Order: sequence, then C-alpha cells, then structure tokens
Amino acid sequence: MLRYRLAVASRAAAAIFGGYAFASALAACLAVWLPGPRTEAVLAATMLAFLAHACAALWVFATRSAVRAWAGVAGVTAVLAGLYMLARLTGSA
Amino acid sequence: MTAAAFCLTYAALAALCLAMDRHHADVFGDDPPPRRRLALRVAGWALLGLSLWAAAAPRGWAYGSTQWTGMLALDGLLLIVLLPYAPRAAVGLGVLCLAAAPLLAAL
Amino acid sequence: MKPGNAQEGLRQAMSWLHTWTGLVLGWVLFAMFLTGTLAFFRPEITAWMQPEARPAMVEPARALDTAVDYLQRHGPDSPRWFVSLPGEREPAMRLAWQAARPQPGQRRFSIVYLDPASGREIAARETRGGDFLYRFHFELGIGYPWGRWLAGVAAMFMLVAIVSGVITHKKIFTDFFTFRPGKGQRSWLDGHNALSVLGLPFHFMITFSGLLLLMAMLLPAGILAAYDSERAFFDEAFPAFRMPEASGRSAPLAPLAPMLADARMHWQGGSVGRVTVSRPNDANALVSFTRDEGDRISYGRGSPVRVYDGATGRARSQSQDPGGATLVAGTVVGLHLGYFAHPLLRWLYFLVGLAGTAMVGSGLLLWVAKRRQKHAKAAQPPFSLRLVESLNVGSIAGLCVAVGAYFWANRLLPAGLAGRADWEVRAFFAAWALAFAHAGFAGRRGWGAQWAAAAVLLGGVPLLNAATSDRHLGHSLAQGDWVMAGFDLAALACGLLFAWLAVKALRARRQAAHAAQAAQAVQAAAQAARAARATQAGLPEGATEAGRP
Repeated sequence: MLRYRLAVASRAAAAIFGGYAFASALAACLAVWLPGPRTEAVLAATMLAFLAHACAALWVFATRSAVRAWAGVAGVTAVLAGLYMLARLTGSA
Repeated sequence: MTAAAFCLTYAALAALCLAMDRHHADVFGDDPPPRRRLALRVAGWALLGLSLWAAAAPRGWAYGSTQWTGMLALDGLLLIVLLPYAPRAAVGLGVLCLAAAPLLAAL
Repeated sequence: MKPGNAQEGLRQAMSWLHTWTGLVLGWVLFAMFLTGTLAFFRPEITAWMQPEARPAMVEPARALDTAVDYLQRHGPDSPRWFVSLPGEREPAMRLAWQAARPQPGQRRFSIVYLDPASGREIAARETRGGDFLYRFHFELGIGYPWGRWLAGVAAMFMLVAIVSGVITHKKIFTDFFTFRPGKGQRSWLDGHNALSVLGLPFHFMITFSGLLLLMAMLLPAGILAAYDSERAFFDEAFPAFRMPEASGRSAPLAPLAPMLADARMHWQGGSVGRVTVSRPNDANALVSFTRDEGDRISYGRGSPVRVYDGATGRARSQSQDPGGATLVAGTVVGLHLGYFAHPLLRWLYFLVGLAGTAMVGSGLLLWVAKRRQKHAKAAQPPFSLRLVESLNVGSIAGLCVAVGAYFWANRLLPAGLAGRADWEVRAFFAAWALAFAHAGFAGRRGWGAQWAAAAVLLGGVPLLNAATSDRHLGHSLAQGDWVMAGFDLAALACGLLFAWLAVKALRARRQAAHAAQAAQAVQAAAQAARAARATQAGLPEGATEAGRP
C-alpha cells in the first residue's frame, strides 16, 4: 500500500513539477527558435507550452511506471533546455 | 433568424437522437428500420448545417458560430432532460421547431 | 494501476486521473465557475446594487470633455489619466489617475465613477458590486499573487480533467443523449456526462483561455527567454502605452474631441473604449485611443490603439495589424471575456457557464454517490467520505447562500455607512463560513437546510428590491428597465431552482432516515430472536449454542 502511494506521489510530482519544467523548457526553446517577430514567437510558444504541460501530465499517468515517467519528462526537458542554450550561445534564431 | 437557428438546432439534435436505436425505442417501441435511420441521420446533419448558417446570418461567422455552440449546448440539454420524462413531447417539440423555423426566419 | 489490455489500461489510468484532478481542486473550481458565470453580468450586478444611480447615456465626445474637465481640476500634475468612455452596459465613466508623488501608504491610483451628464461623481451607495464577484473569480479572495496562483493551478488541473475525461468516456457518442433519472449513482454519472460533453467546446475554451490570461505569471519562461524582462515584452507587444519622458515644459492639452473623431473615422465608426493621457499638460503629452474590445472577438485584451500628440492633436502612430499568434491568442482570450457578446449571446454564456458550474458540482456529488454505494453496509462511512460530503455542502450550497447574503447585505446595510463596501464583502464571507461550519456538523444532512436558505435569499431578491428601492419589478417591467428586471427575475429563477433542490434533499433525507429506521428495526428483531432462542436453550442472554453472541 505504501509502495502504491509512493508511486502515485512520484507520478504526481513528475506531472506537476517535472511537467512544469518541461513546459517552461518548451516555451523558452520555441520562443527563441520560432521565426518571425518576437512577440509572435513568445505567444505561440506559451500557448503550446500550456497544452504541452497538460499532455505531459496525461502521459505521466498513462505510462508503464513512475520511473519511466520521470525518465521521459527529464529527458525531453533536457533536450529542449539544450536547444535553448544552443540558441543563446550561438546568438542565432 | 436567430430564433430560427435555435429551432433548427433542436430539430437537428432530435433527428440525430431518434436515429439511435436506444432512443428510437424509447419513443416508438423498437429500433428504427435502416431506411428511416439513414433518413434521420441525413436530415439531422443537414439541419445542423442549416442551423449554423442561420446563426451566422445576422452577425457573421465568428459571432454566429460562437452563438451556435451555445445553442447546441442548451438545446441538447433540453432534449436530454425531456427524453426520459416525456419522450413523445421531446420528439413533438422537434417537429414543432422544424415547422416554426421557416416562419421565424421570415419575420 | 496497470491491468493487461493497453486500451483498457489507458482508460482506467485516465479515469483515475480524471477523478483525482477533479476532486482535489473541485471545490475551488466550482467557486471559480460560479463567480465567473456571474461576472458575465458584472456591470448589471453593480447597477442593481446601486439602484440610486441612474446615469444618462451621453455621446462620447461630450463625455470625454466632461472627463478631461474633471481630471484637470483633480489631477493636473498626474503623470497618467485613464478614462473609460460610457458604453451601453456601463453609462457611467470610470476615471483613474496616477498620483503625482505618492506618499508611502497612499494609493498609487485614484478612481472615481462620473455621471457624464452632470460631470459629478455618481451619488450612490458605496459598493464593490459585480467587481467583487469578478475579482473573486480569479483571485479567490486571497491576496496577490497567491489567489491567482491557486486559480491558475486549478485551471491546469481542470484542463487535465477535461482531456482525461474525454479519453476515459468510452461511449461518448453512443451515450450522447443518455440520461436515466432516478437511478442513484447512474443518474449522477449521466448528468455529469451530459453537462460535460455538451458544453465541451465552452469548457475547454474557458479553461485554456483562463490560463492564457494569467500567462505572464504562470508560465513566464517564453517571455523571459526572448526578452530581458516582462516589461520589455509588454512594451513591444503594446507599444502605444510606453510612457513618454516628461519634458518639463508645460503645454496646454489640445481638445480631445477632434482626436476622438479622427480615431473613429479610421476605425470606420468603431467605438472607442478607453482614452489614456500620458504626461498631460506637458509638451510631450500623448493621448492614446483604444478601440472598444467588444467591437471584435479577436480584440480580447489587445484592441487597436491610435496615438496622438497631446499638445498639437496630430496623429502620431497606430498599432500594427496583429500577426497569427496574436490573433489566435486574442480570439481565445476574447472568447473568455465575452466583451463582444450582445445580450442574447451574453445570456447563452451565462446559461452555459451555469451548466459548467453544475458539471463541476455533479462531479463532486458523483464521487460521493459512488463511495456511498461502496460503503452502504458499513456502520460508519470512512472519514474521507464524510469530509468530502461536508466540503460539498459548504462549497456548493454554501457558496450560493453566500452570494445571496452579499445581495441582501447590499440592500440592508445603511447607504451612508462608512466602509459599507467592505461590510458587504464581509457578509459574503461570514455567510460562507457559517455554511461551512453548519456543513461540518451536519454533513450530508445539511443539504436541505442550505438549499432552503439559498432559495429564500435568492428567491426573495425581488421582494427585497421592492422593499428597499423604487426600481422593483412593478416599475422595471413597465419601463423596460431590463437590467433591474433581469436581475430580479434571474434571482427568482435561481431561488426556485434552489427550492426544488431543497425539497429533493429533504425528501431524500427522510427516505434515508426511514431506511435507517427500518434497518435498525430488522437488526433489533434479529437480536430479539437470538435472545429468545438462547433463553429457550437455557443459556444466559446474549450467548448462542455455539458459545458466540
């Protein structure tokens, strides 16, 4: 029973906090990489990020295990954060 | 025209509802024969399209489609509430709406 | 949590997720839905709560001149003036001006409501009116920024609840019209499904757009990634509102009426909603005319702006045509705010909003119904169930009582009472607190009393209006005063609905009491029979042949 509760808590944390990190990374990444005026990119990025957070939360609870959930969220977030850093460092996009 | 749209939406939903076995049985006692089911479906979707057009006529598509979404929700809820308590009235209202729509549109 | 079949596994997981995201913040979401629905009639509610106020409709140019006169007298040194021009729904003008040199503790902004015909402040009882309910909708009575954060988190939970609900609703098409009343848990499920599915476009839109409205606070990562600061983003997104530097040279403000006419001409007769004067009476003064947000859905929070030189009256700049993302965001937000809606559509918004409120409430009640059925045989249902039942009563029926109390306080508190606006709000919260306390003691037995209280408070509004003002139904219907009449009639309709719910609740409680009595009687009879057999067998009372009681 405790194991079940811990697994649920873990997924909840992954969905809420991990999901927020993922959404923020996506928003940042899109805001700098999307072409066109900056205000446009920021709005598009933020709208998509909200939807992405919801999708991430759903995926976290649909996937096979809490470990997989964390791995998936952390992995994608890392990639997005990397792409964002790339844009900042190269001064491109 | 908006009143006509309200009527057409209800009639459309009533037709689509009646095309379903379960609800047809609620009203008429048995499943609809295949020809009738097809006719009801076609009529239902056609009326739905017509109701959207009627909703958009006064103030344009953006405003109209927003209003239509609201009509759909409320007419649908009305039908859903009537169906278990007064199935024949629910259908009768649909017929009445269908008849009233062109009159209201002309006003 | 993961059984065999993948499809079934997904549905079950989504069902679990839907239940929990719906339950954890369901009470908050109910309050947001209810107050948000009421907020669609924000100015009308305020008008009912200030029956003495009868501002006449005045045409915009004259109203603007009146406003400028007032501002020149009361805030000539202010760095910024804001004028909300009169509109059909709000004939009064809202004037605001920034304090020139705010002392510590002094408010940064002064706000007055002006009667555009007389040029004087509206002489009516002080009240927060519909604004209180509007603000409560996204601040939940909690100070900045925590209230908004809670509302934002609740909105995200709602979004997840919506999508997981759609995924888990296996028979969304076959059960589209299904409603089976009188079957306990099944009926609650059918009702919840009907309200959810039929209102799905609205619920999804209102939730997503609600998140967007709070985006700068909830998810600033996009803004901060592309800009050095949020201020930089807003300056670029809304360039017309950049504050010009003070030149130090004074220059009289040019008459505003010709600028107003010029703006309207450029917008092909569109209405002006707001006028902002930056650095009035300075050589660098700028006057911005913002188009009425209600002119188009897509104006949402960002309608076109034309900027004029304050000293000369020459046109300086205008806002650019919005790009794709701005148009989408503006439309989504515009749909949430509903400023563009004319009366019929506004009532549709109200009714569908009530349906959404009922959706959330029915979900909470469905949860209870399911658990009650599961624990039907138990002597004492688990604490979690009783807690949820009490919370349900307090936050659903209790909130309705609180809203009624707010309106009654508005009319019963003396018009000249100092700080009466705050007292009205206190009445709201006091009534709600009482309702929660009652719900804590009575649990689910409290439904009847609270629905009855709500029925009296809301249903009694027309009588209250008649007793405390001369703008009651007798007059309002005769004179076509649809704001007053609409409020009275809507309140009466709600009162009737609550009365029906009270009757149902009391009937259900009587049935439950009878069932409990019958069960007790059966138990007592069984006990007596056992005792009789024991006595016959010569054993002491309470024992059976097997030696067990």
